[in-house]
Amino acid sequence: MKNSFDEKILDEAKDWIKANQKVVLATVIQTWGSSPRQVGSRMIVNEKGDFSGSVSGGCVESAVVSECLSLIKDNKPCKKIEFKVSNESAWEVGLACGGEIAVYIEQIH
Amino acid sequence: MKIKTLEEILKKKSSKTEFAILTNLENGDSEIYLPGTSPKGEFSKYADEIENFFKSKKNGVIENSEIFVETYIKPIKVIIVGAVHIAQYLVDFAKSLNFEISIIDPRGYFASEQRFPEIKVINKWPKEAFEEIETNSSTALIALTHDPKIDDPALQYALKNKFYYIGALGSKKTHENRCQRLAEAGFNNDEINSIHGPIGIKLGGKSAPEIALSIIAQLVSETYKK
Repeated sequence: MKNSFDEKILDEAKDWIKANQKVVLATVIQTWGSSPRQVGSRMIVNEKGDFSGSVSGGCVESAVVSECLSLIKDNKPCKKIEFKVSNESAWEVGLACGGEIAVYIEQIH
Repeated sequence: MKIKTLEEILKKKSSKTEFAILTNLENGDSEIYLPGTSPKGEFSKYADEIENFFKSKKNGVIENSEIFVETYIKPIKVIIVGAVHIAQYLVDFAKSLNFEISIIDPRGYFASEQRFPEIKVINKWPKEAFEEIETNSSTALIALTHDPKIDDPALQYALKNKFYYIGALGSKKTHENRCQRLAEAGFNNDEINSIHGPIGIKLGGKSAPEIALSIIAQLVSETYKK
């Protein structure tokens, strides 16, 4: 079941912020075809590249982490990223499941 | 997202209030929306679309816009009859699946708070206990005592109130006897056959956590058929 009131990622985000970490929230906002995680799935990333939660079945997490780190470095508020199976760096970040997803990343400030 | 918004979200989550997070994907503005109210500012022209996301219990981007809506909907109510060992594992599984559990057991030594911290445990007979719980066709019942004097009244209540999932623990023989008693009580074949008995999907396991897993798997599957 989605959107559990008991979902812990946002609580964890708060804990990280309390510990003076910079936190970027990544959310799956759109999916096409067979994607492993549904819309609303979340992951958080801090400035060291630590992450918790998921936006796919492990296919694009590393790419999302590096996008989040750039967001912090460039001090931008938010960005929308689309992942497709036909991505040029498919070995690295493509979705092996054949689906496509859009992930929205935003700094919590 | 502002830290203030995050804190507000956490507050709504812990009080189990239904709400939505509205995000403008272009500029990162986000706001909390309560169903039945008017969305503020830039979100106001999408009031109908936002309300539709609530109705369909979905999340997504509003068509031809850059507005993302994420809804938080009340969990499904699951009533367990029998504060037994299997129930303890069910409670653990249910936590991460957005089910809200209440337990009924008239036997005080089972229905202790120490065995079920943070769970509503009603130490009464089913008939009296159901007076304390609001139920409807989106409620599920899991009967675990396999004791007719405790399970049967609960099963009868669930059938009469058209719960979407009713399961009862017990062997095939126990279940046959149960069906016969329900028939004698005036329930028809369709009603009796709607009870999942013996409860759970076939996993082959016998331990308490294995049985709990097979029950929760069946409950999730039936929830998606709703």
